[in-house]
Amino acid sequence: MASIDITNVHKLYGRTPAVRGLDLSVEDGSFLVILGPSGCGKSTLLRMIAGLEDITAGEIAIDGRVVNDVEPGRRGCAMVFQNYALYPHMTVAENIGYALKVAGVAKAERRERIGRVAAMLGLGDLLDRKPSQLSGGQRQRVAMGRAMVRQPGIFLFDEPLSNLDAKLRIQMRLEIKRLHRELKTTSVFVTHDQVEAMTLADTLVVMNQGVIEQVGTPAEVFRRPKSRFVANFLGSPPMNFLPAGIDRRGRAVLAGGRAPWPELTFDLPAGSAIEIGLRPGDLGLVAGRETDGAIPFQPDILEDLGNELHWHGTVEGNAVAVALPAATAIPSGPVCLKAPPSAVHAFLGDGRRVEPEAAPIPTPKPSGEAPWRATSLSYT
Amino acid sequence: MTNKARAGRIAAHGVMIALSFLAIFPVYWMIQTSFRAENEIFSGGWFPTAPTLKNYADVLAAMPMLRILGNTAVMAGATTLAQVATGLLAAWALVRWRFPGGALARSLIALSWLVPFQVVMIPNYVLASKLGLLDTVAGLVIPNAAAAFSVLVLYNAMRGFPREVVEAARMDGAGDFRILAEVVLPNLRAPLASVSILCFISAWNEYFWPLLLIRRMENSVVQIGLQFFMTQEGNDWGPLMAAATLASLPILALYLVLQRQVVDSFMKSGIR
Repeated sequence: MASIDITNVHKLYGRTPAVRGLDLSVEDGSFLVILGPSGCGKSTLLRMIAGLEDITAGEIAIDGRVVNDVEPGRRGCAMVFQNYALYPHMTVAENIGYALKVAGVAKAERRERIGRVAAMLGLGDLLDRKPSQLSGGQRQRVAMGRAMVRQPGIFLFDEPLSNLDAKLRIQMRLEIKRLHRELKTTSVFVTHDQVEAMTLADTLVVMNQGVIEQVGTPAEVFRRPKSRFVANFLGSPPMNFLPAGIDRRGRAVLAGGRAPWPELTFDLPAGSAIEIGLRPGDLGLVAGRETDGAIPFQPDILEDLGNELHWHGTVEGNAVAVALPAATAIPSGPVCLKAPPSAVHAFLGDGRRVEPEAAPIPTPKPSGEAPWRATSLSYT
Repeated sequence: MTNKARAGRIAAHGVMIALSFLAIFPVYWMIQTSFRAENEIFSGGWFPTAPTLKNYADVLAAMPMLRILGNTAVMAGATTLAQVATGLLAAWALVRWRFPGGALARSLIALSWLVPFQVVMIPNYVLASKLGLLDTVAGLVIPNAAAAFSVLVLYNAMRGFPREVVEAARMDGAGDFRILAEVVLPNLRAPLASVSILCFISAWNEYFWPLLLIRRMENSVVQIGLQFFMTQEGNDWGPLMAAATLASLPILALYLVLQRQVVDSFMKSGIR
């Protein structure tokens, strides 16, 4: 096991910056997920940790030792690639054992360690097959085995699940989580899939355009996004944004002159333009044309996802989606949307989050005592 | 199958049969002439009336033919090995590293392909004579030890090799020679086969360079040996055809054994 310290790392491709002055620490034994859209520099960062990519400026240290000039094979990292990158001419056993062969491990020990890893991953019967004779999920497992057999200090995952079909992806996700719980190996996992990111991470890093937008636990990042980018990137359907202005009392006034949250005030000059962000799942329905503290909604399309309803429409010309429990009775007449003040996110013109004064801290309110010991998620 | 499609297929096969006849006929004529007696050489007919091995006996009497065939095999084999080895290393360097002048080096190698032999033959000859390589098999091999053709074919083949697999080997701790030998090489069978076969055949058919370099019959190669029967008084057709048959037998055998791989490799490496 090992820790990683990244200090002011830059990466230029020619003159194009891919990573711009990035600082990040990965604690020993933690599972860090780097999430971002394609081209945000997340894979480049991972490859720099691996040593497959030179570092233009800055330092990467593993267990306190600067590894900028250390060969990939000597950094104590093992990597799982997106397209598995198995050696096509070698059997499963040879694929898994190649690192040991290179390291000069004796044949008997090699066989024993390959056997142990293969048993762990359920590959015992496939050891004599070639990669071309395996299914996608089996190849993925071989790639994992190849990483595990060296007992590295760090696992690096470069979008390892994106080539699998949806069902297999969920299964492998759980398997990776389980393996991490067993092995406690420091892991860095790059993905653009927010479900993978939310479910796997101890620490979630959201990257955009070569810089880190936010670092935190998945709950923190989801519930208190530091920027409009993060707010928009996480969540499906994504967060709704409504333009608003600040009135003389500091309240947010939506288009149409409504101020649905009189108790929320912002320490901003009157007339400032902000954006109010509301998660689709935080919105509730109120029947009627105009209700106090609610926003009139012009519904358009209703999607039934089976476990949830998504109602798409507009509020004063802005696209808004509402996620509702499957059993919700959909009103036939005019309808308004309502959100508690604790569900309101606000962003400045440059995309930074702005907190209301005396922000109400949202807490889940269990109705009655749960029959089990509830572990509540951290919201701050 | 419609009548039109059937007619098309028959026409296509007709053309192919005609073309293969065109290709096979000279070989057939060479072989059957080699079995004709001297007085029968210029008479017509598809078969010799009294087949004889006299021409072969004459060839073996006139020159150390087996030794010459051996020389040629050694020369062609060594040239092939050398070209494949240098081609692999050069291609690997060009694919694996980005270095200043890398693109220039690649272009120069490609350009050297276009330089005709006549341009370099005098300098090569002078160099060979200064190095004491005149009249030796080594002198035949060394100037051909590196060839643009094999570098470029292997370069293209390696470029198509997935980068992640090489990176996975680096993560597994393998060095560059090990990656080349244990990871890349075993996956390059088709291009290696096509380069080797083409190289072997072109070395086997080499005529002009041996003609310049070789003085004595026992150091000669087979294409020079053939020339022995073309004299100012006229060609000695019987022994010439017998020697030519002997010269083409190894290549013919190579084709018969490796026909599948030869065709496969040509299809896969895109040289047709």
